[in-house]
Amino acid sequence: MDYKYIEQLLESYFSCTTTLQEEQILRSFFSQEDVPGHLVQYADLFNYEAEAKEATLGEDFDERLMARIEATESKDQQVEKARVIKMATPHFAPFFKAAAVVAMALTVGRAAEHAIGEQEAEENSNIVAVDPYIKTGDVQQAIRVKDVSQAEMKATNDSIISISTDDEIQ
Amino acid sequence: MWASRQRLVGIASALLYIIHCQLYINQVDFRHDILPLKNIIFRTALRIILNREEAEDIVQDTLVKLWERREELDEVENLEAFALTMARNLAIDRKEKMDNQHVSFDDEAHDRPDDEQGDADRRLVQRETTGFIADIINSLPEKQRTLVQLRDIEGKTYQEIATVLSISESDVKVSLFRARKEMREKILQKKSLFL
Repeated sequence: MDYKYIEQLLESYFSCTTTLQEEQILRSFFSQEDVPGHLVQYADLFNYEAEAKEATLGEDFDERLMARIEATESKDQQVEKARVIKMATPHFAPFFKAAAVVAMALTVGRAAEHAIGEQEAEENSNIVAVDPYIKTGDVQQAIRVKDVSQAEMKATNDSIISISTDDEIQ
Repeated sequence: MWASRQRLVGIASALLYIIHCQLYINQVDFRHDILPLKNIIFRTALRIILNREEAEDIVQDTLVKLWERREELDEVENLEAFALTMARNLAIDRKEKMDNQHVSFDDEAHDRPDDEQGDADRRLVQRETTGFIADIINSLPEKQRTLVQLRDIEGKTYQEIATVLSISESDVKVSLFRARKEMREKILQKKSLFL
């Protein structure tokens, strides 16, 4: 039987020009029972490569690790705890979250509407304040009264400021 | 006015939902994303530190660290490579500490040549099995045996290995070439001993 292909692959392997697939072919070839005598010395190498991948950690390791993860989690805040619960029910999490997002969007929307509504109401209130004069139709008078009242307000403010500055001087 | 406000709310909630979905997709789940890395990390750490208990500790530390840093993992392209780099650094550190501690033990061992002889005998017995190959690989320098582990045992591409070790692909090939050459020489030596 001709083993030229395998011999070539071996040479390529030792010069690091084999692909991952070709290396797998070598492992498969050497895993068979009757490897030819002149290649048998390499059987151990490729069999070891295959069997070394079977070393794994058992479930006892998982338990110890999860205990440690939970211990570090419980040290964290309430928010972090919520995350642990989320992890336990991964299938429902998106639905709860979607509901929360919709609720949040609605709340924000309502709040925004409310704020805009209040602003408009405030704008209207200036007119409401001078209502009696508007009723009589004397808009000029209404404006004058508003100006007067603003002037009075300014005067009062100024006096307060002057009093406070007097206090500071004393 | 009312209609436009309604539309605005609609668009805003749709945007929020899309953002939320993105966040959920990127969220790291411990059992799904991190725990499955345990075996490859274990084998790689074991290849570096050559002590089963220490290797298990390194796997634990690596996975816990990954979980603690889960918020940053969105930016990591290859989680496995990232985890292996972390584990390797931990293993190299611990190996150094262990070797420093063992210097004193080695000194004591020199006074008891019988034990060394016993070790050599055991090695002779193992020669018939693949344990001989394990000895060859484990006697390579750290970088070379990690390369053999990642390439020949884990079946990783040169690019992935380069990422894990933070070196160039050509550097990976050069070191792997040296490792395989050494393995071949030891295998042929053994053959000539038996002939």
